[in-house]
Amino acid sequence: MKWRKKYFSACFYLFLSLVPLQENRQFGSKMTDSKYFTTTKKGEIFELKAELNSDKKEKKKEAVKKVIASMTVGKDVSALFPDVVNCMQTDNLELKKLVYLYLMNYAKSQPDMAIMAVNTFVKDCEDPNPLIRALAVRTMGCIRVDKITEYLCEPLRKCLKDEDPYVRKTAAVCVAKLHDINAQLVEDQGFLDTLKDLISDSNPMVVANAVAALSEIAESHPNSNLLDLNPQSINKLLTALNECTEWGQIFILDCLANYTPRDDRESQSICERVTPRLSHANSAVVLSAVKVLMKFMEMLPKDLDYYGTLLKKLAPPLVTLLSAEPELQYVALRNINLIVQKRPEILKHEMKVFFVKYNDPIYVKLEKLDIMIRLASQANIAQVLAELKEYATEVDVDFVRKAVRAIGRCAIKVEQSAERCVSTLLDLIQTKVNYVVQEAIVVIKDIFRKYPNKYESVIATLCENLDSLDEPEARAAMIWIVGEYAERIDNADELLESFLEGFHDESTQVQLQLLTAIVKLFLKKPTETQELVQQVLSLATQDSDNPDLRDRGYIYWRLLSTDPVAAKEVVLAEKPLISEETDLIEPTLLEELICHIGTLASVYHKPPSAFVEGSRGVMHKRLPARTGSGEGTECPDVGNAAGGSAPEAAPSIIPSQGDLLGDLLNLDLPAVLCNILIMSKLNSSLLSPQLGGDIGGSPAMGAGFGAAPTVMPASLNAPVGGGLGDLFDLGGGVGMPMGAYIPPKTVWLPAMKAKGLEISGTFARRAGVIQMELVLTNKAMSVMTDFAIQFNRNSFGLAPAGPLQVLTPLGPNQTIEVSLPLSTVGPVMKMDPLNNLQVAVKNNIDVFYFSCQYPISMLFVEDGKMERQVFLATWKDIPNDNESQFQIQDCHLNSEAASNKLQGSNIFTIAKRTVEGQDMLYMSIKLSNGIWVLAELKVQAGNPNYTISLKCRAPEVSQCVFQCYEAVLKN
Amino acid sequence: MISQVFILSSKGDHLIYKDFRGEAGKDAVNKFYEMVTALTGGQPPVVMKHKELHFVHIRQGGLYWVATTKADASPFTIIEFLNRLTALVKDYCGCLSEKSVQMNFALIYELLDEVVDFGYIQTTSTDILKNFIQTEAVSSKPFSLFDLSNVGLFGADTQQNKVAPSAAATRPIVSSQGEQGGKNEIFVDVIERMSVVIGANGVLMKADIEGEIRVKCYMPSCSEMRIGLNEEFSIGKSQLSVSLPPPSLLSGYGAAVRVDECSFHQAVRLDEFDTYRILKVCPSQGEQTVMQYQLCDDLPTAPPFRLFPSIERDSGGRLLMYLKLRCDLPPKSAAINVSITIPVPKGSLRLSQELSSPDQSAELQPKNKAVHWEIPRFPGGAQLSALFKLEVSGLSAASLQEVGPVSLNFELPKYTSTGLQIRFLRLSPIQPGPSQRWVRYVTHSDSYTIRI
Repeated sequence: MKWRKKYFSACFYLFLSLVPLQENRQFGSKMTDSKYFTTTKKGEIFELKAELNSDKKEKKKEAVKKVIASMTVGKDVSALFPDVVNCMQTDNLELKKLVYLYLMNYAKSQPDMAIMAVNTFVKDCEDPNPLIRALAVRTMGCIRVDKITEYLCEPLRKCLKDEDPYVRKTAAVCVAKLHDINAQLVEDQGFLDTLKDLISDSNPMVVANAVAALSEIAESHPNSNLLDLNPQSINKLLTALNECTEWGQIFILDCLANYTPRDDRESQSICERVTPRLSHANSAVVLSAVKVLMKFMEMLPKDLDYYGTLLKKLAPPLVTLLSAEPELQYVALRNINLIVQKRPEILKHEMKVFFVKYNDPIYVKLEKLDIMIRLASQANIAQVLAELKEYATEVDVDFVRKAVRAIGRCAIKVEQSAERCVSTLLDLIQTKVNYVVQEAIVVIKDIFRKYPNKYESVIATLCENLDSLDEPEARAAMIWIVGEYAERIDNADELLESFLEGFHDESTQVQLQLLTAIVKLFLKKPTETQELVQQVLSLATQDSDNPDLRDRGYIYWRLLSTDPVAAKEVVLAEKPLISEETDLIEPTLLEELICHIGTLASVYHKPPSAFVEGSRGVMHKRLPARTGSGEGTECPDVGNAAGGSAPEAAPSIIPSQGDLLGDLLNLDLPAVLCNILIMSKLNSSLLSPQLGGDIGGSPAMGAGFGAAPTVMPASLNAPVGGGLGDLFDLGGGVGMPMGAYIPPKTVWLPAMKAKGLEISGTFARRAGVIQMELVLTNKAMSVMTDFAIQFNRNSFGLAPAGPLQVLTPLGPNQTIEVSLPLSTVGPVMKMDPLNNLQVAVKNNIDVFYFSCQYPISMLFVEDGKMERQVFLATWKDIPNDNESQFQIQDCHLNSEAASNKLQGSNIFTIAKRTVEGQDMLYMSIKLSNGIWVLAELKVQAGNPNYTISLKCRAPEVSQCVFQCYEAVLKN
Repeated sequence: MISQVFILSSKGDHLIYKDFRGEAGKDAVNKFYEMVTALTGGQPPVVMKHKELHFVHIRQGGLYWVATTKADASPFTIIEFLNRLTALVKDYCGCLSEKSVQMNFALIYELLDEVVDFGYIQTTSTDILKNFIQTEAVSSKPFSLFDLSNVGLFGADTQQNKVAPSAAATRPIVSSQGEQGGKNEIFVDVIERMSVVIGANGVLMKADIEGEIRVKCYMPSCSEMRIGLNEEFSIGKSQLSVSLPPPSLLSGYGAAVRVDECSFHQAVRLDEFDTYRILKVCPSQGEQTVMQYQLCDDLPTAPPFRLFPSIERDSGGRLLMYLKLRCDLPPKSAAINVSITIPVPKGSLRLSQELSSPDQSAELQPKNKAVHWEIPRFPGGAQLSALFKLEVSGLSAASLQEVGPVSLNFELPKYTSTGLQIRFLRLSPIQPGPSQRWVRYVTHSDSYTIRI
């Protein structure tokens, strides 16, 4: 607080009344405590010992002070324990407090000696002076020695019922202390019930401490219902709220936040009673109130007048937080960032308060900038841009970079402003400040993506700055621009060639970009650039040891040599739109973080489970769903646990399209597209054995997975290259003709990689139960025991339903077959590919990791047959964008046989229509998480190629479903 | 839940260490110091994490005040708590410094014991705490009103018997009652902080004022204090509905004073506020903020400073900056300690200057790429000018864009920009013996920026 210091230097109090000045006596030459900190001399301990045993009270006190001073600076004074404890029996409260302070510090290291003090404690708990009673019970709780706890119980029981509230509130906390040392004892002694009674105490401070203690104890017993929150107890808490100290209010509000009201009326009435807290001077009270309101608001219908009122009431306290000290401002801004993402309407008119001040610390500036962009809209964009332009000329490099980036984000977010943003960026490029130019180019690339064929006139200006780019991201962006607009840049080949010279010194990002850009250039101007493209392909495939680069090189190469037309379609394909918002927090995480507003989680933007140890805080909090009070107007649950129908469940499985797009943006989009398209477009013969051999055989392949799985084509992602066989191998397979399709077992974990343990396996669905069938082979020389298995989070929440049943030790060269039932209630995280499963297997030797892909058909549930009418309505209801079409080739079944075969895998035919010799089969599938997939299969007699159209609200699954069709029909 | 609290000197010496929950080791202290000194400017220092332990700290009085926690605690609670703790220590020990903390360690341990139990914050109110605290404070510096050497520097128009030096308010609250024979004093501060942004075209783009009324009370027996504000004081945006009815009972003289929002300390009673604009406070001993207020975008008067710059390149390849600065305060007021920072192009080598009066000074700070211009005293209505000639290597047209925005730091003593005044300060019951009531007003620049 710079200003505060200054203001004392120069300002004067004006005397209001005319009372004459009085001389103020000087403070006497009192001894000061600083002498205690003088350095230790030899024999000091002995001196202290003597002083501690002195008869004079003053001398004793001084000696204890010296001891504590030594303790603070880290000297070991535990040798004085008996002497200090001897001073405990005194009627001087100040001395007693000092001795207790010492005891708390050293009792743990001297448990036997600590017992010496017990008698005095017990006696003090009976003292007529409530200060001494409280002091004794407080200190006893802090002595974390098991033996002491037995003696503590009786005094504690008395103190919990003490007539003095000061003693009661101290005793309430002591229960929590005792619970921390010996939880069983607390339960056995019935202290929890006494604590519950204290919630109805007449003194608000006692109530607050009881609530705090119970909340903490309840956290370690998630199911105990200790706090027993119900409308009556909530009412009690709300009453106490008004009388408590500010700190007590925080305990109570935090406790309220864990309650879920029964309906919107109750929710509203709690909100009404909490809102006055918003104007409290203590920001912690305000934030706890905001947390409660944000949570309970979720239950209010949006058309309710009160909902609007509440929204309006939330803005001023949040704005007020920004006038606090920078530390508080920073924490507040991190929270506002969450709130703005959840409910942008609260602060939409408050843009100005987020404008940075020149003397804000840089970390505050960056957070403000982030919020400014989130709040940017058509209404305020002019103002925002003017500010951002100012920021871009400031001194601090990080801030300037972010400001430039922000201008780009505005252009993408608010279309009307794009032109102005681009011209602002061009102005900035003219300054030639190196880092500004580089940032500007990175964002202009995104603007080009968002508004194709609009601002290409600026390319010439960008090209002028080519030489000054030294950061990979800027170079990659520039190369992308050159490649993308190669046909408009006369010397595109020269420009790209100039980058090629130092190809091996570039970062991977730039290399990949350069490869793609040159391929694009070649497809656009094939005649002049043949040499260039060959050069880059050979650089990428032969001279590079980066698997991503090599694989992309190979794919382009084959694509270009096999079918240039397809290559053009793939590489120059139309790009999907980029999302408007970046850096959005994933919705489920956001919901959890909203429940933790005002806590560390909201500052780190991570769930508490990520940084709080042990049992505490592992409960995942969620926003309540809205339920009407009168009639049961059901509203979709936000999460996926409720297992609603497909449309509701879908978003949680495929969390955010934004994420996916974000991923792709960093890489090169056409290349990824190409990977997918190869799978669906080219027939399997195109993926010649040579390609399979190449890739499977390359030793660097395995290492490449971890690096960037997104670039790898789906099927190549399987661990041992055997995945290729899975999808494209026509023969083999042990599927039962009419039962569910079970893919053949493949080797998931080769013995080489797992110290002799080989694991192969497959997945099956038998009688509605998903099973992972594993074959474990011990190829090592020693016996293997203690097997266990765990899955990483995956797209459909697969998790082992029981332990891995390998009961007998596995001797050398022995093989065992195990079947592991799976459930679908595990934690969910979108995987790429969707059906990827990462598995860890442990044995007595080590832990091994591998990944495998399961056929999505094992998630098809038995009750997946839709009513005709429902099918018809749903088919119409799903937008056409979600439809994908695939070809199944070389299938010689007739429609009847196909239908039967599919039914075995829970793909149900609902209707059949024949039009001009073509059979149209309509089918439905339901996934274990409630997603419905609708299909139309066209079978023409005599034609071995089927056409299949899939419609689903979560189109991401279509590819996997198609693979299942193919696998089932061909086996 | 707070796990530990410790106070470190700026050099990392342990001054106070208190463990409340026994879940973290004492090595955390050194770890914290290691981490905090390794921070770079861009990293937010507020919350730091080491393994399972989270550090939250503030800096006050040149000391680190640190709390650690292992749970998902609220950083707001902890920061507010640490701020209160510093205030308490200041109240009890008189001032915040390494020396005063060292001298009063026993008292601070005692305070900590009462303020936090098992990591739960109990109370930070001096009223409650005074019942429990036994240790006497030790004051670092004997206080004497004769130590008035700094009086009269700027306050030529004030007489000595009407002015108390700032040091008067830096003494422990408790000592004043015991052997000192009770010196009944109340200090009231009205402090405003001003953030202004003036655009390149001279248009006022943003003007915010945050203000507060702070009371520091040394009266053990004061049960009620009545603070009278301007009669024409209103709250709420002018066009929107006013949350309080216009004070019709008050006579209509004196300029209207308006603020957007207002919040009050818990102990303030407002039953006379609506009609008479009187705050009734039962002040605890020590320091507290009784009222906070804000005003956005609608200053009652012109902003205190205007800048008229002209910036050009001369024929010799130098950058010429001619700056005229006008102070628009009323003639009786003056700004002091005005310091102006003008960012200049990188590559600025030398500065030659012509300033309009000898007490001003200016220097080029090449490291910060800025020129600093200092004006010790700037009376209202005056206009000062400066001509800076800068030698810049590689001066180009684009370099001109690097000049600005200009930022100002200043203090306006005895001046509130909202116009808020304290009409009277009445204590009841009537204090036995002489009591003294002191009021001061000051406006500070928070962030005052003029774009070029």
